[in-house]
Amino acid sequence: MTQSPETRETLIRRLPNAADAEAWDVFVEIYEPLLFRLGRGKGLQQADAEDFVQEVLTAVLRNIDHWVADQQRGPFRAWLFRIAQNLAVNFLTRPRHQRLGSGDSQVARMLHALPTRANENESSELFLREYRRELFRWAADHVRGQVSERQWRVFWLTSVDQRPIAEVAREHDMSAGSVYIARSRITKRIREMIRRHEEHTQ
Amino acid sequence: MNTSSPSCSDDNLRLLLDGDEDDQRYRHAASHVETCSACQQRLTELSADADFWHDQQVMLRPIEGDLPETGTLVRHRSLESWTWHAHPIEESAIKEMLSPPSHPEMLGRLGRYEIERIIGTGGMGIVLKGFDSELNRPVAIKLLAPHLARVGAARQRFAREARAAAAVAHENVVPIHNVESDHAQPFLVMQFITGQSLQARVDREGPLSVREILRIGLQAASGLAAAHAQGLVHRDVKPANILLEDGVERVYLTDFGLARTTDDASLTYTGTVAGTPHYMSPEQADGRPLDHRSDLFSLGSVLYFMATGHPPFRADRPMGVLKRTCHDPHRPVWEHNAEIPDALSAIIDRLLEKDPSRRFTSAAQVQTAMEAVLAQIQQGRLLQRRRRSTRWPKLRWTTLTLTAGLAAILLVAALLVAVFMTESPFRSPSSSTTGKLPPSAPQLAPEASADTPSTLLAQLRSLDPSPPDQSQAELTRLEESLDRLESTPFLETLLPAEGE
Repeated sequence: MTQSPETRETLIRRLPNAADAEAWDVFVEIYEPLLFRLGRGKGLQQADAEDFVQEVLTAVLRNIDHWVADQQRGPFRAWLFRIAQNLAVNFLTRPRHQRLGSGDSQVARMLHALPTRANENESSELFLREYRRELFRWAADHVRGQVSERQWRVFWLTSVDQRPIAEVAREHDMSAGSVYIARSRITKRIREMIRRHEEHTQ
Repeated sequence: MNTSSPSCSDDNLRLLLDGDEDDQRYRHAASHVETCSACQQRLTELSADADFWHDQQVMLRPIEGDLPETGTLVRHRSLESWTWHAHPIEESAIKEMLSPPSHPEMLGRLGRYEIERIIGTGGMGIVLKGFDSELNRPVAIKLLAPHLARVGAARQRFAREARAAAAVAHENVVPIHNVESDHAQPFLVMQFITGQSLQARVDREGPLSVREILRIGLQAASGLAAAHAQGLVHRDVKPANILLEDGVERVYLTDFGLARTTDDASLTYTGTVAGTPHYMSPEQADGRPLDHRSDLFSLGSVLYFMATGHPPFRADRPMGVLKRTCHDPHRPVWEHNAEIPDALSAIIDRLLEKDPSRRFTSAAQVQTAMEAVLAQIQQGRLLQRRRRSTRWPKLRWTTLTLTAGLAAILLVAALLVAVFMTESPFRSPSSSTTGKLPPSAPQLAPEASADTPSTLLAQLRSLDPSPPDQSQAELTRLEESLDRLESTPFLETLLPAEGE
């Protein structure tokens, strides 16, 4: 890769306000693991999947000036997620060994390209499913940091592993009521985090 | 089921979902939920509908790489994001990376090295004090941070760092004995230096004497010159990376942590701050291409730090430091420390030039310049202390900015007075002509020269609230230029008490 290195600071200086910088951070938080997983799913080796993550993010970065310059621009977060989705779906649609080019014109073409391939729909579906999975994982990761380890474990065991509440309560030396409360509190936080994010990116 | 109980209410249940656990009413509601299965059910519904619970169960189901036994989702983050969020490394995590020690008093073992203790941890790695059991000597071991050891790009960078640093053999660069990049935990082995870092010394003792500044600066410059000769840019020259050996007057440059050969393809895309913000060069802070002259700027910041006890650009947040590094002039060293001779102050000023082409061209040149100052001091030819007033006539950039700034104030003041005189409701209507400024206006400037931007602004705002249209436009324009003036950096230093 030959693009000039960019720090988070220089990016932020190009953005109109602080909320946009925050949006970028959230975007990177969700997209890095998502793209990596999609890349691996396409059969890329670890190092190639890492490159793929960087290539897509770099392509998005290169287009930020277009958004900044656009008089009728919408919210940054919505733009970011839309453009990245186009790039990622495009990647998934292409044959396995065709890499993302680094030329501006190529990226621009890709962004505005109309879906032509038959497997475009299939790729979109795959992307949307994995994107949604990542949203859940992202929100869960955050909420986990806000609750105690014990609360997290009883949430996990009863809702993801679907083990009986009474049994999990006994194992963790908790009352059934507090297991109900812990799993509901955590679920509500995850739901709200996802809902807020979706509102911002609509 | 006791659905009819007065304790069964959605409000109480919402309190359980969002409320404070120490609240009296929360505890009351919680004890009710223990026994009321209807409320247990309702609580679940209120947190999210059945569809969401189902989706959540499907979406959070462990996938490859997760740790299901602890409910941990392993989400890939790039090396850059990791270093940006620089997670603290705990001792227990470090112990896990070592094999059990041969001696009980040791922390653990790494290959043929017995690990005695942890010297320090940073974003990229951990530095350990160890003992080489084959060669019978103490060593310092730099270990790649556990979360990075898994990332291919980090391992590559680490190996490159080791190779780059090992190539520099110089008395002012910490020697690298050994590099283990194939090991599960890549590490490099360095000579162990008994002493302290420059950071620790200045933190404890405050600003250093001129001789010490020159002695340390000279050796650091010499070490840098050697690295630059190998085509290396250190990229992270800072007081914590300059080691002072006990007993002997020897200075070592260490931690080419982020050094890379200049033509090396960059790993960076974003989220990276390759270096400590306080000692970064403007080109580094701005993400522009950089060369060895970036290290010279950092060296200037280190000299500044030794002379004043703090780095040249300070702010509450790293972002602020970067902005100031790029846009603000530094305050001259002598303003903080009158001991600093002009000759040294001038070297620092030249190293801290924003434009790399205005700095010294090489570390060797800096070395020569400092040697000359040292020689002058040793021969007693240099007047170390000067009265502050004698420094004024010298045409420094500060003087120039100050002059330019005052001139700007005077000009705005003059325009202001002119508008005031032409449009003021206090003047007789006959003398009011057009909204244009009379050509003689600038002559009025001296009258207003005692005013500061804020008092002028206050005057401006106290003018007739409904002036004629054309002067309104002029007033707005003036007000804007005053606002701009007020926000220029030189005023922050010139008029620190004027802020609102």
